[in-house]
Amino acid sequence: MTAATIVAALLAGAYVVAVLEGWATTGRFQPGAPLVAGLALLGRESVVPRRPDRLLYETAPVLLLAAAVMAAAVLPLSPELVAVDLATGALFVNAAWAYVMVALVMAGWGPNGAYAMVAGWRFLGQLIAYAMLIVMPIATVGMRAESLATTAIVSSQVGLWNAATQPIGFVLFTLAAMAVAFIPPFDLPTAPGELAGGVAAEYTGVRLAIFRLARLVLVVTLAAAVAVFFLGGWLGPWLPAWAWTGVKTLAVAAAMFAAGRFVPRLRAEHLLQWTWKLGIPLALFNIAWVGVTLWWADR
Amino acid sequence: MIAQTVAVALLGAVAVWFGAAVFRTSSMVRSALSLLASMAAIGGMFLAMEAEFLGVLQLMMMATEMAIMAVFMVMYMMDPGGLGQMDMSHQKRLSLASGVLAGLAALAIAFLGGWGPVAATAPDAAAQTRALGIEMMTRSLLVFETAAVTILVAMIASVAVAIARRR
Repeated sequence: MTAATIVAALLAGAYVVAVLEGWATTGRFQPGAPLVAGLALLGRESVVPRRPDRLLYETAPVLLLAAAVMAAAVLPLSPELVAVDLATGALFVNAAWAYVMVALVMAGWGPNGAYAMVAGWRFLGQLIAYAMLIVMPIATVGMRAESLATTAIVSSQVGLWNAATQPIGFVLFTLAAMAVAFIPPFDLPTAPGELAGGVAAEYTGVRLAIFRLARLVLVVTLAAAVAVFFLGGWLGPWLPAWAWTGVKTLAVAAAMFAAGRFVPRLRAEHLLQWTWKLGIPLALFNIAWVGVTLWWADR
Repeated sequence: MIAQTVAVALLGAVAVWFGAAVFRTSSMVRSALSLLASMAAIGGMFLAMEAEFLGVLQLMMMATEMAIMAVFMVMYMMDPGGLGQMDMSHQKRLSLASGVLAGLAALAIAFLGGWGPVAATAPDAAAQTRALGIEMMTRSLLVFETAAVTILVAMIASVAVAIARRR
């Protein structure tokens, strides 16, 4: 029952996120557009490129979807509504996201196309940029909760949200989360207008539908992770617990898309420079900062 | 308990199968990703044995490591896609012999080593992580550090080889 509710919530979230993304990219609010686009994709022929690495080509969209759903399994909608309350939940989320990169490398290599391959390897570089900025803020969130269980992390924010106590980690994690889901300005692996869709360039029909759905679910899980780790998850007055998680998740997703609308795409080497020369020192400072504040509060 | 044993055995078989697949393909990317599948199956074995932290860590680290390995393999191999029907193996007898020897050594350690009494129940996740940390910082410290430094040296060396001479 819990799992079914989570899946239903994920699908609903993916739909709203699709509308939000369409709104942010085209500037028009079209609530029916994702449905129409999805049906159109399902009706279209699914062309396979010439001499593909068939195994990798077919696995990639499914693996992307599996990775996104796995990440969702440990994120709580409310204290009861969590599919698997792992003791290492916060680490597990990150393990699931690592397979996003594996799926994109597969999708890049599999179709035997130049644009896709450039995009796939590019995302591997992008991982090297964002990976540390995902892990280090999760570490500080775990430090405050004294647990890696996602439910314990939410409970630890009863007094004050983590976004307030560790703002640097919050900002870094949110930006890194945008990079995981390749939301502009970090849309290097799809790069519309430059790589003609990149990793998704050679996918059509049902396969592209799965790819797009997987990416939307991924955005939902990332936004949910920001809400759970930094914005107090289900905590809030008046509304029921699950509603707060939902509202916060969608608000984070909307903010991500809105930010991407006004910033030009970063070049791969600039992204790596910013993340390694500024991001990682800041993340290390954040760890020290959180350590000192926790020690001070405990004194 | 039976379900756990079956899961461990099945995942072990998957790990061995993908381990063999690493050497049965000429495509460097397939090879690296097969190794990842093998390692992920080992992560699954950890999870089936209720070693949660180790399992999750294995799943997470291996994804990144194998993808980076794929980059290096594509960088250094002449026929990364395996489409050119090129034989990229060499020193077959030596590698066969060392492979068999290493396999026998691993089996000998597995069967002859003293592993202590079998735990009836797995300790909880926090206790496991703590025990792991103590182990890594005491008895296994030297092994751990040696492996880490070796990998670091290999990384620096391979990057140094790949950089074009500036002079």
